[in-house]
Amino acid sequence: MNRVIVITSGKGGVGKTTVTANLGTALANLGHKVALVDADFGLRNLDLLLGLEQRIVYTSLDVLAGDCSLDKALVKDKRVPNLVLLPAAQNRTKEAITPGQMKELVEQLSTQYDYVLIDCPAGIEVGFRNAVVAAQEAIIVTTPEMSAVRDADRVVGLMESEQIKKIHLIVNRIRPEMVQLNQMISVEDILDLLVIPLLGIIPDDEKIIISTNCGDPIVLDEKDSLPSQALKNIAGRLDGQKIPFLDLSATQDGIIKRFIRFLNRKL
Amino acid sequence: MSAESSDLQLESPSPYLGQVKLKQEDGIFGLYLPPLAKDTAEQWEELWQDLKYCLNYSERTWPAQQSVSLEAEDYLLDTRQLQNLADLLGELELDLVRVKTSRRQTAIAAASLGYCVEQNHLVSPFQTNIEQLDVAEPLYLKTTIRSGVEVRHNGTVIILGDINPGGSIVARGDIIIWGHLRGVVHAGSQGHRESRIFALKMQPTQLRIADVVARLSSFEPHDVQPEIAYLSKEGIAIANALQFERYHDFDQAIGSWSEYKSTVIPANL
Repeated sequence: MNRVIVITSGKGGVGKTTVTANLGTALANLGHKVALVDADFGLRNLDLLLGLEQRIVYTSLDVLAGDCSLDKALVKDKRVPNLVLLPAAQNRTKEAITPGQMKELVEQLSTQYDYVLIDCPAGIEVGFRNAVVAAQEAIIVTTPEMSAVRDADRVVGLMESEQIKKIHLIVNRIRPEMVQLNQMISVEDILDLLVIPLLGIIPDDEKIIISTNCGDPIVLDEKDSLPSQALKNIAGRLDGQKIPFLDLSATQDGIIKRFIRFLNRKL
Repeated sequence: MSAESSDLQLESPSPYLGQVKLKQEDGIFGLYLPPLAKDTAEQWEELWQDLKYCLNYSERTWPAQQSVSLEAEDYLLDTRQLQNLADLLGELELDLVRVKTSRRQTAIAAASLGYCVEQNHLVSPFQTNIEQLDVAEPLYLKTTIRSGVEVRHNGTVIILGDINPGGSIVARGDIIIWGHLRGVVHAGSQGHRESRIFALKMQPTQLRIADVVARLSSFEPHDVQPEIAYLSKEGIAIANALQFERYHDFDQAIGSWSEYKSTVIPANL
């Protein structure tokens, strides 16, 4: 069963593209054949995060125009076998492609790849509809901010009316110490509002910014950091494995704080 | 435990905009479309969203292959739109058999697809649609009303689910929410002051009853008990649901609910 999953959020800047790049890489590392589709025409970024910008020769528009075959337009990842990217055109806008054409491309891809991940642009206009039309499942990315959660709620509503029944949530950029001080919306509050199953929580970490700038997905790091582990776990859960959620607060505090918490729990 | 009524009053009862509705009439279902506001592709896009929403979340009480008559009135529909509609109905085991329309093009499109066509004359704009004045049957929805969704109904609305911030309900009658109310709700939208709002957990963005608007006076979490919002002499008030019926009465003279002045103490207290 090949799965077509759209990664979306409504609000911009919450980490859709970072999640797509890392999830795709992690799934490919698990041995699956993965195709990433950039649906953000005119503002494409997925190639940058994967470090594949210089290898792009053709885009999905060239395929639709009949200038090249689909296989030729796919950019193979240099580090991970089984991972390919279908780049969007940068010199055009969202109107350059119709939902019907997008569906056709994705359907072709889904016959050859186990996972097709679609990176959705921000907003709920044409670009969003293009990205959603071919998907069977959705992953909603949100951050613990009121505006991001509201937008996520709107997008979940739109998904449901598009007949996408399998919708999962990723909460990105959690800062456990702020949640503990009641300065940040907790994951529980977000789940209380959205009422969709949680796929994973990714902590806020500057290592992600570094990896994004280098064009190397963080899941490829040799030293396993907390966000990298969180993303790998998400890929595992998406793949059907049962992996418990990371205790983010425990790993960030020092040994003394953990000991105190251990004592408090006993009391 | 009362809501803070603002000075703001709604100018006039908000105009009733209908929604898609499915109604049974001697063995055949009628699919009614809302009155046409603008004749554009955008209207169809909106209508299509509404249709999917209404049909997917309405309680399914019809037998398989139930016949449906589309009351298209003055909608301009082409063959593709009609085919999409028939496909959508087909997924829900509803069988489109008849199209009623006042537009010639729609009639031709329907006939070419093999549906029974009933072409009626244009309804004069001065003639009031008697059916719309009647209060409709309650609308029962089993879903969460998320941001961006607005439910309008010409009667009482019952929701089995939450109303999220950014979602809204406008009902001519009461609004009963078996869930968490966080959005905007308007009961008695046509000016019916006796209408009330019921919620398991009352944390609305805004409450409206008839022509009065109110918001909660504080954000601090109050009772997590079922509550009722009603129109009192001072504006919109909130009361514990269990005690409301026992102590309140609607006073027709002043057009608001007032506390019951009974000398008889209920036996079980």
